[in-house]
Amino acid sequence: MLYEFRYRAPKTASEMIRLLDDHRDDGKILAGGTDLLPNIRDGNIRPAVVIDAKKIQSADSIAWSASEGLVMGNAVTINDVLRCREARELFPVLCDCARQLASHQIRNRATVAGNVVNASPCADMAPALLCLDAFAVLESASGTRQVPFSEFFTGVKHTVLKAGEFLEKIIIPASAAGARGYYLKLKRIAGHDLGIIGVLMVRRNNGIRFGVSSAAPTPVLVDGMLDKDGVDAAIVKVLAAIKPIDDIRASGEYRAFMASTYIRRLWQEIK
Amino acid sequence: MFDDLKPEALRYVGKSEKKVDDTEKLTGEAVYVSDMKFPGMLYAQVKKSPHARARIRNIDSGKAQAIPGVRAVITGEELAYRLGLYVVDKYILARGEVRHYGEAVAAVAADTPEIARAAVEAITVDYEELPPVLHHMDALKPDAPLVHPDLGSYSYVAAAFTPKPGSNIANHTKLRKGDVDKGFAESAWIIEREYSCPSVQHVPMETHVAIVKWSSGDKVSIWTSAQSPFTVRNLFCHAFSLPHNNVRVIIPYVGGGFGGKAGIGVEPLCAVLSRKAGGRPVKFQASREEEFSLLPCRSALTYRIRTGISSEGKILAQHMTMYWDSGAYADYAVNVTRASGYSASGPYEIPNAWIDAYTIYTNKPFGTAYRGFGHVEFHWAIERHMELLALAIGMDPLEFRRKNALRPGSRTLTGEELTEHSGSVLKCIDTVAAAISYGKITKEEAGREKRTGWKIGKGIAALQKAPAMPPFTATAVIIKMNEDGSVTVNLALTDLGQGTYTSIRQIVAERLGFVLEKVKISFDCDTEKDPYDWQTVASKGLFLSGNAAIIAAEDLLKKAYAVAAEVLHVGLRDLGHDGDKVFLRHHPARSISFSSMAVGYMMPNGNGIGGPLIGVGKYIAQGLTNLNKETGEGHPALNWTFGAHGMVVEANLETGEYRVLRIASAFDVGKAVNPELVRGQAIGGMMQGLGTAMCEGYIYDKEGRLLNPSFTDNKIPTAKDLPLEVECFVVETAQIDGPYGARGVGEHSMISVAAALGNALRKATGAEILHMPIRFEDVWRALRNKKPIDNWITKSPLGSCRSVKDIPSVAD
Repeated sequence: MLYEFRYRAPKTASEMIRLLDDHRDDGKILAGGTDLLPNIRDGNIRPAVVIDAKKIQSADSIAWSASEGLVMGNAVTINDVLRCREARELFPVLCDCARQLASHQIRNRATVAGNVVNASPCADMAPALLCLDAFAVLESASGTRQVPFSEFFTGVKHTVLKAGEFLEKIIIPASAAGARGYYLKLKRIAGHDLGIIGVLMVRRNNGIRFGVSSAAPTPVLVDGMLDKDGVDAAIVKVLAAIKPIDDIRASGEYRAFMASTYIRRLWQEIK
Repeated sequence: MFDDLKPEALRYVGKSEKKVDDTEKLTGEAVYVSDMKFPGMLYAQVKKSPHARARIRNIDSGKAQAIPGVRAVITGEELAYRLGLYVVDKYILARGEVRHYGEAVAAVAADTPEIARAAVEAITVDYEELPPVLHHMDALKPDAPLVHPDLGSYSYVAAAFTPKPGSNIANHTKLRKGDVDKGFAESAWIIEREYSCPSVQHVPMETHVAIVKWSSGDKVSIWTSAQSPFTVRNLFCHAFSLPHNNVRVIIPYVGGGFGGKAGIGVEPLCAVLSRKAGGRPVKFQASREEEFSLLPCRSALTYRIRTGISSEGKILAQHMTMYWDSGAYADYAVNVTRASGYSASGPYEIPNAWIDAYTIYTNKPFGTAYRGFGHVEFHWAIERHMELLALAIGMDPLEFRRKNALRPGSRTLTGEELTEHSGSVLKCIDTVAAAISYGKITKEEAGREKRTGWKIGKGIAALQKAPAMPPFTATAVIIKMNEDGSVTVNLALTDLGQGTYTSIRQIVAERLGFVLEKVKISFDCDTEKDPYDWQTVASKGLFLSGNAAIIAAEDLLKKAYAVAAEVLHVGLRDLGHDGDKVFLRHHPARSISFSSMAVGYMMPNGNGIGGPLIGVGKYIAQGLTNLNKETGEGHPALNWTFGAHGMVVEANLETGEYRVLRIASAFDVGKAVNPELVRGQAIGGMMQGLGTAMCEGYIYDKEGRLLNPSFTDNKIPTAKDLPLEVECFVVETAQIDGPYGARGVGEHSMISVAAALGNALRKATGAEILHMPIRFEDVWRALRNKKPIDNWITKSPLGSCRSVKDIPSVAD
């Protein structure tokens, strides 16, 4: 890095909380670093203290239990998810999204927690977490709280996380196991790229829901649809929920068009 | 240099020998300038302009100078040196005015990169923002701000270029052939269209980097990642008025150049910092973002073509106007304009042609050489144009191309008559057409269409290019024999991955009759130890240096024979040789080994004769001329390499999504000295062409700031974008004066890939796309008759380049 900062690596959650409390204004959490380090390099942020979340005990653990569901510590990487048998078998849509995130090398570093905390509209893990009713477990000096991802994102690069608070783990409830679906992501090249638009369709207990990325200030969940409503109604509902913009990657018009195209494709594929 | 040797008589030429630098590169042993570090070395960083055009009121570098570890801070005011390859128009650091976003205004050398960066951040610049001129078509308007108001006072190469003082025109190249008015009058159809493409970046793996040490007595040593050591030295010495023997340029392994490192780059900046820091070596390595805007890019082009065609489908007249966006400085862009100007029609015979090619200054990062030297850009236009012409007159595009293609007896735009040895574009076209089953959908493809619901289309695009170089371009090669009879070859042509050294090695081994293992090409280039070479550009390296290598090998053998004749007391004509010795042909047992005479032969009594055996070969381009500045007539082409691509794509008619299924490429290389290397060049260039065709391109905001100066939003393709099937063919119409019949093919594989894609997509979808790159959304918009995206890739802010009547007229 081109300037000096302090690096701290707490071993426990309470140590982490203490550090965060001490550095509410000048601290940044390092997980995979695939967003943090480019931001530091580009001069967008300049933390005085970088607090590594990976050394906290069991932060890199991904575990399934029928009682708790799939529990992912905040240092679980995207490739950890893809290597986890239960994730692949019980949460295939989570893995679909994971496979579409960046490149293999980046997936070795990038974490699920980092992907959502960074809160980019194009976060690839968000559609899956939204559609699977996942929630974040947040820790701070004032205690623990659980926030479902449907309430987690508040704007472009903004979440409900408060100063001094960190995301300790992500839990996908056992009730979501077995949900079927697929994630379609429009890119400029076949290799790793940020999505121009991404649509995940998930079927659970006969209900249908969509998680949409790169289409609004935050990743969007649209749920409460049934087969009998028909695909056209689903498209209307999703388009009403998203607000795609014009930028250098695509026009909002094309994004909306491709979102509806993807819904139609998925509707046909995922029976 | 073409020997009438049968292929079976050749031992190495024509064989796919292993690349000479494979092992070093794969193991990481190869040392690049990026890897280098010298005792006491300082690190440089530059302060860059956030504005496209602004007056520099004041630069305050006091705080920066006070930072411990800062050894030199420098601003443009201290540096009166102007640089320029053809038009001398650029300061090392901006003076008085910044002319593009990302331009360097101040620089720092410090003990560490961290200190240098902190110092740069501590420099404050007071700017007065000025209205920039951003789109090259707007720059032609009478009231456009002038990027270089002092253009009239700049020196330039008058034999080749024509700047227009008082305008933004850095060069106007003209070509007039036949009688266009008559040609149009006789035409059954007249069709006019306009095509465009944006600036793109070369994206070498190793970014620009140099280390310079300015020693006492104004002796300067330069280690640089560059393509052309002697050109770096020459331009450097001109800029600083130094004797050439004061300056030494060393180029080790180079991590790619693609034209972006053809001339001079960051070397002068390091040099002035080193001088100011008391002679400590200074290293500067550009970041990826700096590659996009501090360093040059490829020029954007707007190309307007009007064509008259006979009722039989023969082109009778063509009026061509090229508007090249030079950016803030002329650099290579003026020569891109010139070289494109005389090749502007592509590989077709145009009996009556009228060409105006303008290089236009704008307030944007400047344009330079890029693989193809303009030909990728204008072939995009001309090969889309040929397609659309054929459709407009109801002919099959392949037939239309065949009918108008250059062939023996045709005259090029500059009046050169092609012969049966000039290479055959027809053979290339036919080869790729057959390879992709052009004109039909196979059973398998029909099945695929049914399965996917996507439509398959096939397109062809042809191409031509000759080396763009001064008519007297020359090179030399030296072959030194070692004590054991092996040889080491020195040349200042660089090998930056294209593989020319491997081919030169094969040529030297072939001509000497030595086993390949006895021939080594010295990898580092050093202006103090290697013989002159003009530049590693233009696909001329194998041709010129290959010929020089043959002559050097002959010279070495001649000198060895002279020693052997004296030792053996025989006439020269009685001698023959193999890989180890020179012998008497009718008594082969009477011989002397090369090793015994390599550094001087000792007679039995101890007397010495001969001396170190060194072969020298030089080669200068033959019979080329300057072009008449009014008519463009003359002989600019060392040789023409022709080629063609055939592409198969499948596309979704609803969404504009597409995939390239297959590409077949053919080039008339004269002789493939190393077929695998030709294939490597063919695939590499094809992918680079496909990247610019699909997604690459500079996007600016309305203030002229580059919005995509990194890989986040300037995507380049990866291995995953490779078409499913890639085929490469060589056609071998021997070039009489080429080494073993060879001609260059380094750039050609990138040319016309975009047009082949456009043509195949048109066939699949009906979309008429006239601008690059072709993103899915562009296809979708074209299919729905929606306006192209207004994101500055294709449009000027005023939309002035979209309709004919708005084109500003340019005074002659």
